[in-house]
Amino acid sequence: MTNHLLPLFVIIPLASAFVNSLLGKRIKGFSDIISSIATLFLAVISVYSVFLIKDSGMIVYKVGGWAPPIGISMVMDGLTSFMLVTVNVIAFFISIYSINYMEKYTEKWNFYCLFLLMIAGMNGVVISGDMFNLYVFLEIAAISSYALVAFGTEHEGLEASFKYAVMGTVASSFILLGIVFLYSFTSTLNMADMSMEIARKGASCIVLLASVLFLMGFGLKSALVPFHAWLPDAHPSAPAPISAMLSGVLIKSLGIYALIRIFFSVLGAEPKILSIMMVLGVLSMMVGVILAIGQWDLKRLLAYHSISQVGYIILGIGLGTPLGILGGLFHLLNHSVFKSLLFLNSGAVEYAVGTRDLEKMGGLREKMGVTANTSLIASMSIAGIPPFNGFWSKMIIIAACVEAGHFAFAFCAVIGSILTLASFMKVQRYAFFGELKSTLNQIKEAPFFMKLSMIVLAVICVAGGLLLLPDVSKVFLGPARDAVLAGSEYAKDVFAALR
Amino acid sequence: MNTILQPILVSILAGCLVLIAPKRFRRVIEVFSLLTSMYLLVACVRIFNIAPLTGKFLYVDGLSRFIVLAIGFFGALISLYSLRFMAAYKEIGQYYANVIWTIGFSILAAVSNNIIVLLAAWGFLGFTLYMLINMGGPKTAPISKKTFIIIGGTDSLMLMGFALMWFITNDLMLSNMKIAIDSSVSFWAFLLIAMGALAKAGAMPFHTWIPDTAKEAPIPVTAFLPASLDKLLGIYLLARLVLNVFILDSHTYAILMVVGAVTIVAAVMMALVQHDFKKLLGYHAVSQVGYMVLGIGTGNPIGIAGGLFHMLNHAIYKCCLFLSGGNVEYKTKTSGLDSLGGLAKFMPVTFLTTLVASFAISGVPPFNGFFSKWMVYQGLIEKGKSGGTLWVFCIVAAMFGSALTLASFIKLLHAIFLGKSKNGIRNTNDGQRNEVSITMWLPPVILAGLCIAFGVFAYILPLKYLIGPAMPEGFHFIGTWPSLAATAFLVIGLVVGLAIYLCGNFKGVRETAPYIGGEEATKDMRLSGTEFYNTIKEMPLINAIYNKAEKKAFDIYEQGKRILFSFIRVFQFLHNGVLPTYLVWCLLGIMVLLFTLVR
Repeated sequence: MTNHLLPLFVIIPLASAFVNSLLGKRIKGFSDIISSIATLFLAVISVYSVFLIKDSGMIVYKVGGWAPPIGISMVMDGLTSFMLVTVNVIAFFISIYSINYMEKYTEKWNFYCLFLLMIAGMNGVVISGDMFNLYVFLEIAAISSYALVAFGTEHEGLEASFKYAVMGTVASSFILLGIVFLYSFTSTLNMADMSMEIARKGASCIVLLASVLFLMGFGLKSALVPFHAWLPDAHPSAPAPISAMLSGVLIKSLGIYALIRIFFSVLGAEPKILSIMMVLGVLSMMVGVILAIGQWDLKRLLAYHSISQVGYIILGIGLGTPLGILGGLFHLLNHSVFKSLLFLNSGAVEYAVGTRDLEKMGGLREKMGVTANTSLIASMSIAGIPPFNGFWSKMIIIAACVEAGHFAFAFCAVIGSILTLASFMKVQRYAFFGELKSTLNQIKEAPFFMKLSMIVLAVICVAGGLLLLPDVSKVFLGPARDAVLAGSEYAKDVFAALR
Repeated sequence: MNTILQPILVSILAGCLVLIAPKRFRRVIEVFSLLTSMYLLVACVRIFNIAPLTGKFLYVDGLSRFIVLAIGFFGALISLYSLRFMAAYKEIGQYYANVIWTIGFSILAAVSNNIIVLLAAWGFLGFTLYMLINMGGPKTAPISKKTFIIIGGTDSLMLMGFALMWFITNDLMLSNMKIAIDSSVSFWAFLLIAMGALAKAGAMPFHTWIPDTAKEAPIPVTAFLPASLDKLLGIYLLARLVLNVFILDSHTYAILMVVGAVTIVAAVMMALVQHDFKKLLGYHAVSQVGYMVLGIGTGNPIGIAGGLFHMLNHAIYKCCLFLSGGNVEYKTKTSGLDSLGGLAKFMPVTFLTTLVASFAISGVPPFNGFFSKWMVYQGLIEKGKSGGTLWVFCIVAAMFGSALTLASFIKLLHAIFLGKSKNGIRNTNDGQRNEVSITMWLPPVILAGLCIAFGVFAYILPLKYLIGPAMPEGFHFIGTWPSLAATAFLVIGLVVGLAIYLCGNFKGVRETAPYIGGEEATKDMRLSGTEFYNTIKEMPLINAIYNKAEKKAFDIYEQGKRILFSFIRVFQFLHNGVLPTYLVWCLLGIMVLLFTLVR
């Protein structure tokens, strides 16, 4: 029974969070081991799920054995398994990175506890086949991320966490409101059922109103301009592994995945909504990168780039063409790899130098070879330099824009790419190249586990382009794209898989 | 197929090996890299000899074959030269890895038929350039940044151009494309790709990275990339576009010609007033691109052939000049013209190579630079036959530029090799030898030999084997330059002149100490050559332009930065960190969304 795999994605992190909170404090090193094992296991089964999906198309799990329109279901299709791989693989590397990095904080087990809860929430959002469940998991992930942003309990983190919590809650309540409207309209919460019901009843103002609420709510979660303002505060203030987690996967699973799932699979991709997504995407792309280039705080700079890169993803997906969606999804994956790597690099720098101010760094290349080289690779990836992975996805997005006849959007994407390159040249020049400051003569390279996860992520950045090879993309990216393109077929597939 | 792919794969693997090799095997790394580059040269010769080939991914014709040969040649030469020159640098593995990758990916860029492969190879070369410039240590950090922003940025524009090309033809193979400039889409496709090519070659307005790079980066890097390989590739792509891919109209050609003419004059004016020989050479590396672009911009076979030949010649003599300059810098530890002088006696080989290359770049017959410039002029005259007045301005600009080039090299030769050194001290005094060792003088000597050979035997060697096959439809001269006969006459003239000089009363020539205003000159009073052209600099209008140029008013990078930062200030003002403001944005956002959707 392969479908029993599905609840594991939620149960494992939840259970290990629970065990962690019980035993983590008592047994030294326990929380390190348990969370590394848990995330490793999740990563392995998520990769395994890709092959399952390739064979069986769609897997549906009935929670408690109740059939869907009444019971809760968990659904795994190409998009879900793609997202699961993204989330869990990144989470594993961040988890082993934390073994060394979190040493400087007290109460490490609390950190792991929240971290695992967040993973449970994200996996839940991705795998849920039920609207209300999606909301619940989204809140689990969001609330643990509020706490994690403030984990350092410094002035800055607390302020950022407060802002984040307020804005996040506003978004969540709008999302809830949207779900309520849809529920009142369709009398069901199951996504597949809801989709069929909406298709049957035809267009309605209520659906449009709900769309606006979802666009705002999930737009805020994925930090689209003008709903982005929480991100540049929240992401830099968190501990580095959490910044990596937030920028790397949280905004994607809570924001972008949910947008795709709801607008493509449930509400049906309307051209009007898609063009709004494209405009928001281009806006985020440009505003984010322009703000990033003026930053001197390394992590803040990276955070603004998250806004900009999310813009690329949304632009690609908003195109609605197969090529655009492929580009958007591939960029999503690539972004989560290189952006978490960049945040981990910034963490390693902060660990060694004790500052995030670019002006106080310089010449770190001499002292921190691994960090410098991995961050060079990640910078090249995000700037879209071949042959690193970011180049391929950006190229696809730009080509897809041109293919669809949106020359202006394509040109904006090009300009955004140039500015991205410029700002990462700034990072490299001030942090890693340049003169070694005399105050930094004593610094040391990061410890083993931090180096390990940075190196592996860098290798993924270098080799990421290979995912586009026809044979590989048939297994991994292709099914994800097809799942998005399937649109309202989703509902039929779910019910077919139940039978 | 294997003949082509094998060297590329070998270069990738060898580069990785060199990169991860432990630093203490320094000798091994050096020798291994040299052997690899020699192997690549051999492989390039083999590619040169294969029959034309049109595949899904690869495309070999006369043009790409000759570019590949040149790439292999310069790669091997630079590796040889680096043995000694780069010995003082740390991170030697990183240096050689990037050199080897550069060779391999340049070959790939030159032979690829698929635009995605071309784009990827091309983009990666920007990265290796960045890493190679960074070899110069901390002081090159700002320059490598600027360079990569310009190069990488124009690569992105090129990506857009290729996307438009794909949109027009629905094909990825260059050999299948024949795009007429009949709509704004195809015009922009050409222009955007041309921007990438021009930035790599260093034409205006994307030139500003070259002088800066030349000044600070290690000399072999400058000689390798901005001086030779980047020119080869940039002009290769431009020629490819003009010859095979696009059918240009007269307006587009006019744009190219104007870019060429302006580049020639503006860059050479800047070169004239430099005080650092590396920067001076850097500006000439920009100026000479003008001739190539001008030649290609004429659009007729002789002009394009001239542009390509000039590209090859330029790579030869500019590489020679940079390497000779490297020898001077290696021995004297300075590149400032003010503090050099009188080196001809101590470094005769370097002096001779510099002399030959200087004549070549200034277009003095019978050296190669003259021949290719002559072909470019013919192209312009040919263009003139079809009417218009633009060609007149272009030809005047080209000749004027040529004269100024000669002028600035007179300055360079005087300041480094003739004249007197500062304080009359000979400044190569670092041990036993004055001239550099063989690995360092051999490459410039080979190149200087080529300067002569390609000029004297132009018809027999380069035009027959390299340029001729590159031009599918062939080309004809409107005025022939009998290079052999002319050389013979020149030599005879020189010999006769020398004889007259020797027979005459040359013993009556006397040397005296400088004598100024009735007073004995002190030792540091000398004519260094750097002030030769101050009169030009002080002319009223030109002076104002020079001042602007000093302030980087013509630097696309600095101006872009200025505009960008004004935007940044506005956005930063809006992000005031106050929560209610941010919530108001969200609210406004929702209202706009509601308005557009529910209306």
